[in-house]
Amino acid sequence: MASEVKANKWSPGTGVAGTLGDSGDTFTVPSGATLAVASGATIANSGTATGFSEAAYAANASASTGAVNVDASNNLQFNSGYGSTATAYGCRAWVNFNGSGTPAIRDSGNVSSITDNGTGNYDVNFSSAMPDANYVISGVSGESGGMANHRTVSVYNDALQTTYCEIKVGGATSTHYDDSIILIAVFR
Amino acid sequence: MKRIIYPTDDGGVAVIVPSAEYLADHTIEELAEKDVPDGKAYQIIDETDVPSDRTFRNAWEYS
Repeated sequence: MASEVKANKWSPGTGVAGTLGDSGDTFTVPSGATLAVASGATIANSGTATGFSEAAYAANASASTGAVNVDASNNLQFNSGYGSTATAYGCRAWVNFNGSGTPAIRDSGNVSSITDNGTGNYDVNFSSAMPDANYVISGVSGESGGMANHRTVSVYNDALQTTYCEIKVGGATSTHYDDSIILIAVFR
Repeated sequence: MKRIIYPTDDGGVAVIVPSAEYLADHTIEELAEKDVPDGKAYQIIDETDVPSDRTFRNAWEYS
């Protein structure tokens, strides 16, 4: 048996599909060698084969190279109007809840619960903790009846914890209020 | 829907309102273990047992 075969092209016979080796065989592409797949070609996964890495992004004929990237630190980066490809900082938790009457969560993401501590005072408890307490929250609140009272969502020095954040809904004075619409988003 | 209550350090009562997303994969007991501060006694009660009139919310007491 020849130990090396050199040929410029391998082709299957007419009307049949070519096969490389048999089950259990190993084919190695040595370090420094290149296995080039031409544009328009397809490498098909039968659905059970392993060893195929997830693509960093779905190929798009109109996307420029590097428009979406996952860097060495696993940061997702994309252009999407930035003007350059840069890390995207995601919303790590959000909640839309009613703080009046019988408080209830309308919907949420990465929020296990809210804690009603008293009038206009709530904790937002995260399902998965933040990596540290140096995150940012954005919050607005209001009543469905109108704009008669302009209120703000505020936090205090120790309000940001890795497992929850404490917010207070206040008005122009130090009075707190149970607003019916309280919207909180956490970014990190 | 259930609620979890526990006493606050200032003599009041805190009421935990679960999210639907968390209860889809966890029990209310698991939520209590996670979100009630360590060392606090707590009770799991029905939502209907929590007063909806919050006029004197800061005067509520745990019993």
